[in-house]
Amino acid sequence: MKDYIRVCDVEKYYGNASNVTKAIDRVSFTVDEGEFVGVMGASGSGKTTLLNMMSTIDRVTAGHIWYGDTDIAELSENDLAQFRKDNLGFVFQDYNLLDTLTIEENIILAMTLRKEGKKEIQKKCDEMLRLLGITDIRTQFPYQVSGGQKQRCACARALVNRPRLILADEPTGALDSRSAQTLLETFTDMNQKLKATILMVTHDAFSASYCSRILFLKDGRIFHELLRGSKARRDFLNEILDVLALTGGEISDAR
Amino acid sequence: MLGKLAFRNVKRSARDYLVYFLTMTFVTALMFAFNSLIFTEDIEEMFGVAGMMMALVGLATFFIVLIVAWLINYMVRFMLEKRSQEFGIYLLIGMKKKEVARLYIRENALLGVAAFLIGMALGVLLQQVIMAILYSMIQIKYDIHMEFNGSCILMTVGCYAGCYLLALFRSGRRFRKMNIRDLMEAQKKNEEIKESHEQLKKWLFPASLLFLLLFALFIFLGGTQGAGQVLFFLVGLVLVIYTFYIGLSSWLVCYIRRRGNGIYCGQNLFLLRQFSSKLKTMSFTMGTLTALFTVAFLGCTVALMFSDYQNKLLETKFPFDVQIYSDDTEDDFRDELEIIEDTAKVLEVFPYHIYANVPKEVLEKPGKTKEADQGANQVNVWLSTHLKTFGDMYLNKDKSPNLKKIEKDSEEGSFYCRYDTYMKLSDYNRLRSMLGYTTVSLKEQEYLIHIKERLRNEVEAMKEEITVKGDGGELHFAGYYTEPFSQDGHNGGDYVIVVPDSSVSSLTPYYAELAVDLDGEAPVGLGKKLDALTEPEEWELEELKESEGDEDEEAEDDTDFAGHKGMEGNSCCGSDTIVVMSVTNMVRDNLIPEMKYLLSTLIFPCFYIGLVFLCVALTVLSVHQLSDSAKYKFRYSVLKKMGLNRREISMVILKQLVCYYLCPVLLACVIGGSVSVFMSGKFIFYTGIHSAVMYYFGLSFLLFFGIYGLYFITTYVSFRRNVEAEL
Repeated sequence: MKDYIRVCDVEKYYGNASNVTKAIDRVSFTVDEGEFVGVMGASGSGKTTLLNMMSTIDRVTAGHIWYGDTDIAELSENDLAQFRKDNLGFVFQDYNLLDTLTIEENIILAMTLRKEGKKEIQKKCDEMLRLLGITDIRTQFPYQVSGGQKQRCACARALVNRPRLILADEPTGALDSRSAQTLLETFTDMNQKLKATILMVTHDAFSASYCSRILFLKDGRIFHELLRGSKARRDFLNEILDVLALTGGEISDAR
Repeated sequence: MLGKLAFRNVKRSARDYLVYFLTMTFVTALMFAFNSLIFTEDIEEMFGVAGMMMALVGLATFFIVLIVAWLINYMVRFMLEKRSQEFGIYLLIGMKKKEVARLYIRENALLGVAAFLIGMALGVLLQQVIMAILYSMIQIKYDIHMEFNGSCILMTVGCYAGCYLLALFRSGRRFRKMNIRDLMEAQKKNEEIKESHEQLKKWLFPASLLFLLLFALFIFLGGTQGAGQVLFFLVGLVLVIYTFYIGLSSWLVCYIRRRGNGIYCGQNLFLLRQFSSKLKTMSFTMGTLTALFTVAFLGCTVALMFSDYQNKLLETKFPFDVQIYSDDTEDDFRDELEIIEDTAKVLEVFPYHIYANVPKEVLEKPGKTKEADQGANQVNVWLSTHLKTFGDMYLNKDKSPNLKKIEKDSEEGSFYCRYDTYMKLSDYNRLRSMLGYTTVSLKEQEYLIHIKERLRNEVEAMKEEITVKGDGGELHFAGYYTEPFSQDGHNGGDYVIVVPDSSVSSLTPYYAELAVDLDGEAPVGLGKKLDALTEPEEWELEELKESEGDEDEEAEDDTDFAGHKGMEGNSCCGSDTIVVMSVTNMVRDNLIPEMKYLLSTLIFPCFYIGLVFLCVALTVLSVHQLSDSAKYKFRYSVLKKMGLNRREISMVILKQLVCYYLCPVLLACVIGGSVSVFMSGKFIFYTGIHSAVMYYFGLSFLLFFGIYGLYFITTYVSFRRNVEAEL
């Protein structure tokens, strides 16, 4: 479907009259349903700002972000909350699991906030736990499990309401390379098997190589776009590294 | 440099722990104001009982110092934990442990001194308020004046410094044991939630509830029965206060694990987990807070009880301006009258007799002629055996009256006289008109009984069971009268039987009384002058009696009434307990202020304890929540990302705070409530005051929730501000 998510001429300024920083400078792109889009860029390039605006946590200074027919730049505070509840799922670098709840309960909570029935919640939750392979740690608390498991729980929580878009902010940032790989495979599975649409922000070329399309951000502007097409992941990775070499981005951890 | 650093840190701490800072300020103010009660010179001169105030405020201060020291210690530890990373950095950049410790102690001292100075300023204001209340209580005009009593300031400083010394005593050791890694990590580490044996522990919850129920039953069904039982319940209560929270938290955990229906509804899962983990990690603190709340409740209730007594009952205890007792029936009260006429303008003087219904020779040699005694103390016997106050104190095992004991006690003048007390109708009517009551008339063959209002409902059956014999045979009962009539030993103890002047010829004067009506108020010190007429060694120190069943230990046991002349000879004081005042020379305008002052020695310290304990407990609650709100902001931002709007998040915070604040209070309400209701029940029963049983508890509850509400709102507002800064 065309125009699943459309970002039009978005601008974001920070600061006051005497000292304005342009974090995002007239950025436009679209995301199609079922895409796995990566956003790359050096620190300070505006990628997290972009993600925040797309996730309704921050507001645009100018421009529009269309989710289907809804322009989130026009929604009120309360409508935004409802919108997040219905349309978005989040996976963050520092997991953001609620530490007082067990793994399973973290997933359940996401559904109870949407006022679903007990049976349905339990069914969906069991299914999610199984899909992400965390059934055996369901009764553990976040502090008792590894980072990779925590992140998978966060994925399950993001996915369980079948959101229109999953937003991932450096999801592998705090993981060791083995767990990171497992998680990225999970993402790919989610994308391919469950048809989840994912927007992932990362500065790590290895993570980015799992995406189907990558937007490169520099100083608040999109300066390049890469499509994976049918390329092998390794080739795609090399392509990414080439682009990064041009921009002077971080390539140290691209192995 | 270190000084500057310490100063900056203090400024930050004062902001972060504003509630703590304010509480310390308030506690200082209270300390100063209440301590000044001890050191008021005018009062010390005025009443001999000033020592009581000193003793009781001192006692209260002792407990308060302990509790405030606990608060400081708790906060010092708490801040240390929260700032451990910062201290780690100090160590990392090369400061010695000793220096860090010194820095921290210096910071705390600075914070303390700042709170103290502001508190003293506030204390001076509060002192004026408290003095004004006290003076208006004892009916003396108070001119606002600053009283900077050196010893009062010294004592406040001493108490305050004592709190700090006690609290900081152990924190040096804590620093010595620190290592950098632990310090740096401490902040990141979340409180670990250890769940073990939850299934077992959850039974603690219903068990504690059951115990509380038992406790309430025990206390309502009879109260104290043997030291063993009391000890059992006391120990049990302390245990329950602590186990209750462990049990409750496990019960919630089990409920969540069982996937009860409640958790599938909105944010309940989050709230329940949040609450149960909080309870689990601080069940001990919660228990202590409950204990503090309970004490605060009880303190308030006791204070309110006595202040109610002061307002409602005290005036009725002294209907006559001056009333003097003499065991010498021939006494014409000439000396007394001289003194009274010297110092005040007398409107009316009326000397009269209280009679006993026995021949003169029997009265002079009691016990010799048993037959003549028959029926002469029938009312005393009836009251001794029927009033609830006495229980079965004067009953034999077979429920028959224990006459020997009644006789023996009456000779010692404890509750009733040896013989029933009679009054002639003409005397009675004269006294009634002196007091402004309507006079009554009796037919030849009638009698009436004037009795304390408190006992009116209990004596309904008495009129059938006693017989008053007159010259012309048995007299008929014409009714009970219950106006205030000075019946704590003057016009009889509890009651007096009134008979027509000429119908009972066997009445013999028992003791003499003088009632005086003055124009205007009696001058200060009249009572003392009257007392001085009798040789000092003959003075019998009159005491305030305590009923055995009474709960408040703070009530004054065996305290002499500061040199008032007690009654001797054929005297009695009636069945009043808790507050009893029977002295030979009763000068109303002297006694009422004195009584009020005496009662206020109980009321003030009780309020003092109640207030401080309440504030300390609320501070701990509030500081805990606020620092959590800073540490766990991300929880709310996660909720926000999951789609809760601002209003819903505020609701979650509100619900969370309500649970957290209400829990220890509810438990304290149950414990404190049942004890207070029991206590006020007894108090109302023994004093005959007209108040509902729930009145005192209800009032202290309202008072409590006023302060509670203040803290709650402050916490809620700052909590939201902390969290919303992040959203």
